Amino acid sequence: MRSPLVALLLFATQLPAQTATAPTFAPPVRVQADGKDLGTSRLYPSPVLHDTNGDGLADLLIGDLRGRITVALRLPGAGLPRFAKETKLLAKDGDELDFANW
Amino acid sequence: MSPQFVDFDADGDLDLVAGTYDGSPHLARRDGDGFLQPEQILDAEGVRIVLHQYWDHDVSKWTESSRGDLPGEPAVQGHGTSAIAFDDDGDGDLDLLLGDHKSGHVYRRENRGTAKTPAYARGNERVLADGKPIDVPGTVATLRLVDWDQDGRQDLLFGSMGDVYGEAAGGGVFWCRNVGDGKAARFGPLQTLVAPSPKGHTEAVRPDAGLYPEAADVDGDGDLDLVVGGYSLWTPPSRALNATEQQRVATIRSDLQALDAELEKLNQVAQAVFTEVRDEEEANKRYTAAFQAQKKERDQLRERREPLETELANLVPAKQRRAFVWLYENTTKR
Repeated sequence: MRSPLVALLLFATQLPAQTATAPTFAPPVRVQADGKDLGTSRLYPSPVLHDTNGDGLADLLIGDLRGRITVALRLPGAGLPRFAKETKLLAKDGDELDFANW
Repeated sequence: MSPQFVDFDADGDLDLVAGTYDGSPHLARRDGDGFLQPEQILDAEGVRIVLHQYWDHDVSKWTESSRGDLPGEPAVQGHGTSAIAFDDDGDGDLDLLLGDHKSGHVYRRENRGTAKTPAYARGNERVLADGKPIDVPGTVATLRLVDWDQDGRQDLLFGSMGDVYGEAAGGGVFWCRNVGDGKAARFGPLQTLVAPSPKGHTEAVRPDAGLYPEAADVDGDGDLDLVVGGYSLWTPPSRALNATEQQRVATIRSDLQALDAELEKLNQVAQAVFTEVRDEEEANKRYTAAFQAQKKERDQLRERREPLETELANLVPAKQRRAFVWLYENTTKR
């Protein structure tokens, strides 16, 4: 009979195999905000999800090559996400947040 | 760009860290109810953090620096356009990981200060995966932190550039499992989540190049989905042309070549100042003046070109390139 330690070690060595299964994804679909495709007027759109208004829903922020960020608030509802119209992410000084770029 | 919400200075609120195309990581501090305008993150000696290539804002040109090279290590030739703050060594403060837009490598700047007062080392250390320097196929577009396997440790997620304009393989999405002890990170081999695009599509079906992924459970089903920004590249299907249409295509292409030649002559005239004037500032000034003096001719060339391009695209569909944001819904559990 295996000792508990041996059993634990055997279990531990199996962990990588358990996680080695490649995930599967549905064919990708375009994300929209207010009925419009996101990212189309941007250079290298870079999305990040974050609850910006404290409603418990992760909103979609998109940065770009120019160093600007937009926010599309997530609308309530289960299932695939729906987002409101994009707005510019402003800094405390009231100007658009501007990650200085070249 | 790679925006990351993170409490950079351990003051209890979430700041924004982002690598940008100018080659350096930036920080927008959260101050009460808003963000302050971004600042460059500096190292412990007050010097801007770069890999190698960067845009020098003071002289408005691309510049290179070897300051971050480490003795005995290969010189870094990179361009750091993505960055994340991450406690890589498990000492309780945030180090910086920098993604190289020109290669598939990732570099670390160790924080030798504290969580509240970071002090970043001047050297760019290569980050390893499976004992070898991380080498993301297609070069690093961005990097992210995510507990992909939900084991309580932060893993690394990458999007790659791929060939953004040409016919070579496009970008993909990859991850490296954190197999560390729960404190210091150690990364396993690179694994593929979204294979690099083979391209060749006749419509926009996926992000093909310049992939910027984010991972989150967006549909609330308990697993991590991918939201990916990137360029779709496709060529709409063409139709068989009759003899008249084929002749028209040849004529349009010939006309466009002639317009290109006229434009090239204008370019040569404007650029001649760079051989005639040695002073760079004066040459730039004269070039700008010469370019502006050609405005009417350039506008006329463009006006002649646009209808020809439109007509040609109707006969022979042109390559399309457009940025979108895509959702890859995780269906593994189904």
